[in-house]
Amino acid sequence: MKNTLKVERAINNFTQEELAKKIGVSRQTINSIETNRYVPSTLLALKLSKLFNKPVNEFFSLEEGD
Amino acid sequence: MNLKSISDCEDQRIQKFINYKLPNHFKKIGWIGFVLSFVILIATKFFDGDYSILVDILKRLLLVFLLIVIMSKEKVEDEMIKSIRSQAFSFAFVGAVAYTLLQPVINVIVASIFKPEKAIFNDLGDFQILWFMMMIYLVVFIKLKKRA
Repeated sequence: MKNTLKVERAINNFTQEELAKKIGVSRQTINSIETNRYVPSTLLALKLSKLFNKPVNEFFSLEEGD
Repeated sequence: MNLKSISDCEDQRIQKFINYKLPNHFKKIGWIGFVLSFVILIATKFFDGDYSILVDILKRLLLVFLLIVIMSKEKVEDEMIKSIRSQAFSFAFVGAVAYTLLQPVINVIVASIFKPEKAIFNDLGDFQILWFMMMIYLVVFIKLKKRA
């Protein structure tokens, strides 16, 4: 699964730390999601969707083989 | 209260028990206690005398303090930490079972090469197994957390 979390974060002018605080996770978790080392839960994806005011599949998408 | 709500209530109680973690400051207490017990345990090797009871107590204290470290929350206990924790637990469990089964065999093989008269099959003690399991857990947990 790939994502454009970094882009969304830049659009909203959030640092990793700020975004982490807003959705109640650590900065490392945001970093791991951005670098595709961690796939977040539906709950976290929905929190991000609410924060960015966009549907989840606009910044998370399946890759070939998923 | 109907049967479904009783079972839901029971389920919540079990979940709460399984997911229970000590507050973050216990981690510091655990590490300090662990280091102190370890230093005293090493120190007993350098002084003459019968310290067998003290050594037994210190070994158990070491395990208790390690358990406190393992059971304590991280500063931010989020879903990724929970996932890393469960990965480290499963690795430590499999590692400890493999170690318990293989180590005595390796000991016998090595002893039969170098000291055949001492090549006797001995099971590992509870301290050795628990110590190995908890150390594996901590090493894997810290490594995965750093990688994140």
